[in-house]
Amino acid sequence: MGLLSIIRKIKRKEKEMRILMVGLDNSGKTTIVLKINGEDTSVISPTLGFNIKTITYQKYTLNIWDVGGQKTIRSYWRNYFEQTDGLIWVVDSSDLRRLDDCKMELDNLLKEERLSGSSLLILANKQDIKGALTPEEIAKVLNLEAMDKSRHWKIVGCSAFTGQGLLEGFDWLVQDIASRIYMLD
Amino acid sequence: MDDKENPTIVPQTEYSDPDLQRKHSLMLERLSNRHQNRLDNSLRSESESSSFESTSSFLSRFSEMKRSIESQLADSQIAPSDPAQLKIYFEKISASISDLEKLVAENSYFLPSYDVQSSLKTISDLKQTLESLNSQLNPKKKFAFKNKASKKESGFPEFKEPLVSKRTDTSPEKTRLTMRDSPGFRSIVGQVLFKEFRGSEVGEFTISDLDSCEVRLIGSLRVLFVHRLKNCQVYVGPVMGSIHIEEVEGCIFVMASHQIRIHNAKRSDFYLRVRSRPIIEDSNSVRFSPYCLTYEGIEKDLQHASLDNETGNWANVDDFKWLRATQSPNWSLLPENQRIKIVDISTQEIKNDNTQVI
Ligand SMILES: Nc1nc2c(ncn2[C@@H]2O[C@H](COP(=O)(O)OP(=O)(O)OP(=O)(O)O)[C@@H](O)[C@H]2O)c(=O)[nH]1
Ligand SMILES: [Mg+2]
Repeated sequence: MGLLSIIRKIKRKEKEMRILMVGLDNSGKTTIVLKINGEDTSVISPTLGFNIKTITYQKYTLNIWDVGGQKTIRSYWRNYFEQTDGLIWVVDSSDLRRLDDCKMELDNLLKEERLSGSSLLILANKQDIKGALTPEEIAKVLNLEAMDKSRHWKIVGCSAFTGQGLLEGFDWLVQDIASRIYMLD
Repeated sequence: MDDKENPTIVPQTEYSDPDLQRKHSLMLERLSNRHQNRLDNSLRSESESSSFESTSSFLSRFSEMKRSIESQLADSQIAPSDPAQLKIYFEKISASISDLEKLVAENSYFLPSYDVQSSLKTISDLKQTLESLNSQLNPKKKFAFKNKASKKESGFPEFKEPLVSKRTDTSPEKTRLTMRDSPGFRSIVGQVLFKEFRGSEVGEFTISDLDSCEVRLIGSLRVLFVHRLKNCQVYVGPVMGSIHIEEVEGCIFVMASHQIRIHNAKRSDFYLRVRSRPIIEDSNSVRFSPYCLTYEGIEKDLQHASLDNETGNWANVDDFKWLRATQSPNWSLLPENQRIKIVDISTQEIKNDNTQVI
């Protein structure tokens, strides 16, 4: 048995999942991670670089990589693609003007071969804001129906402000990854 | 601990000159702070393993790990020729690079941005070296930092149909058409624009494509987008979420918010109160100063938005385009004698014909 498969075995046993969280700046990535981890979200600065949060979710250990989305640091996203089990793309549903940018960056990301096997959760965040687009509208703008058929994906409306929708999204993602990776037990 | 470092034994000297006396006590204070810091640091280093809380200890650990990876990479000239072994060899280097990456992540919250960025660059370079080495030595099989089971060897069934959320319709018409415009002031020249948010449930608000306008927003709102403004003055009550600014020139902004993000701004002054650190990107000649707005009832609004305390963050600007420890040339603090006075937008008269109220 090669080292690779041993590593894989160990990883599987520990029920670890690596989750990469990206999206345009200001979409709410850091707020979502802190909220889901039950931490204070009242003072958050834009992310210069990235944060890793390890949280226990159900019986799994999630390593969540929250990478800054400011233009200057988007070119570093690709440093984090390897071994990604789940990809979370966060959208600011109230930022209508930058939806084109958002679509373009997502399209680029999905071309990435190293991410081709990962489950994709799209969080249509900031649903609490009056005037925010619904998840259905976001799905349309991002043209999600055109996505490669082999990709597991789902879009969920949420608010990191109220917490609504976050669990639904993470539940789906974790179950989907588990059913692919940890199916044997 | 070495006695020399203990501030309490520094000789107490009497100074007749009050100036000297002051300097002396300042020095004592400094020594005492330093002593305390040292204590704190030594306590911390006992309790924490990979989080250093100090740039220099991080940097020395980082370069140690980096050197080790580099020498592993250099050794690959004598790497095993058996492809299976070679793969293991590369996998090991790749794991070391991941460790290095993790080290940066764990320490990134206290590192100066320059160090974070240059560490990221180093990691990215190491990965590239590894990839190109691999394709040299092992041209057929592409090694891609993966350790995930490929579909074939896992023996798992092919993916099911995606668990898509319901699709509403499939009309091919351009999606843009279905989009509504958010409330805001748009495409106006030379007017005073006034809006009061009091009482109503307020979501996002946009001000865009304005030239030579004065904008007054009274009351608090959730989100503010500011886009393409020239020679405008913008006065804004508390914003509970974030303010996103892009492409502004020759403007004055007086605003309070939880987050302020400034992009492509030129020759503009920002009078801010912010809970987190304001950031600029692709901007130059921008200056910062504390918030200086008032209107009837502003205290209550500020309090409601948790913006009643001055955090001093107006001066803690991060420039994403200047990732060094030295001061960015793109922004500065606005000298006190050049600052505008408190602006009262409730009493200022608006009896101009060019006034628009929505
Ligand atoms: N109203 C509302 N505001 C939100 C929500 N999620 C995030 N925000 C606000 O949006 C702003 C940006 O949030 P962040 O979490 O810093 O965004 P980010 O995606 O991490 O940004 P970068 O680190 O620059 O990539 C903050 O002011 C948050 O308070 C939400 O669901 N509702
Ligand atoms: Mg962030």
